Amino acid sequence: MLHNRVKELRARFGFSQGELGQRVGVTRQTIGFIEKGEFSPSITLALKLAREFEIKVDELFWLEGEK
Amino acid sequence: MKKDFRVQYPLWQMTFIVLFGIMAFGLTGASTELIHTENELSYSMELAKIESFSVLGATIITFVLVIIFFIKISKHNKQHPSQKLSIWQIRPIEYLEQDEGMTHITRRASQKVYTFFVWALPFLAVLFMIFELPRLWMILGILFLALMQYLLYYLEVRKHLKEDDE
Repeated sequence: MLHNRVKELRARFGFSQGELGQRVGVTRQTIGFIEKGEFSPSITLALKLAREFEIKVDELFWLEGEK
Repeated sequence: MKKDFRVQYPLWQMTFIVLFGIMAFGLTGASTELIHTENELSYSMELAKIESFSVLGATIITFVLVIIFFIKISKHNKQHPSQKLSIWQIRPIEYLEQDEGMTHITRRASQKVYTFFVWALPFLAVLFMIFELPRLWMILGILFLALMQYLLYYLEVRKHLKEDDE
């Protein structure tokens, strides 16, 4: 299972789900699905999210038991 | 999002299916007469009171709903000019494909429907082979599968969107 820090970093940067979605070109719902771990994003979307939060992809997403 | 026409579309289809079933009930109960002679060619249909009421009622309701349906599509197309819908499009209207997250939901819902048909179609075929069912029951059986298709799809999409709202 893929874990992530999207919710934590989104709160830190002060973005709503809608704002973050707009910045990376997806809907608010998709950000919600990623935060809940219901959906694993594509590499493209993961890179876009990492860029928004100014961190590396593996600091934003990691596999279970690897962190 | 739940008010998006594409999300509500299965509910419309389910309503039309029920109305079609009511019409089928009325029309299959009709007594028909075909006259084909050298001097005359005519076809007449006679409906009993309940059957004629069901056919007439369902037709009127369908007509009104079709008008509302087209108004809804037009409204959706004005609100979402980049995601216009048409009843003539080959891809089902209910597909949500704005981005990869919504495509993921659509895939999950479609998989459920596909799994349902993998079992339901052979079951229905066997049922029709074993039992000599009246024409109405065969029509209703097919309509039931269509109804279940939209119900399963709608419930799956709705489940994800409901979770998202929490």
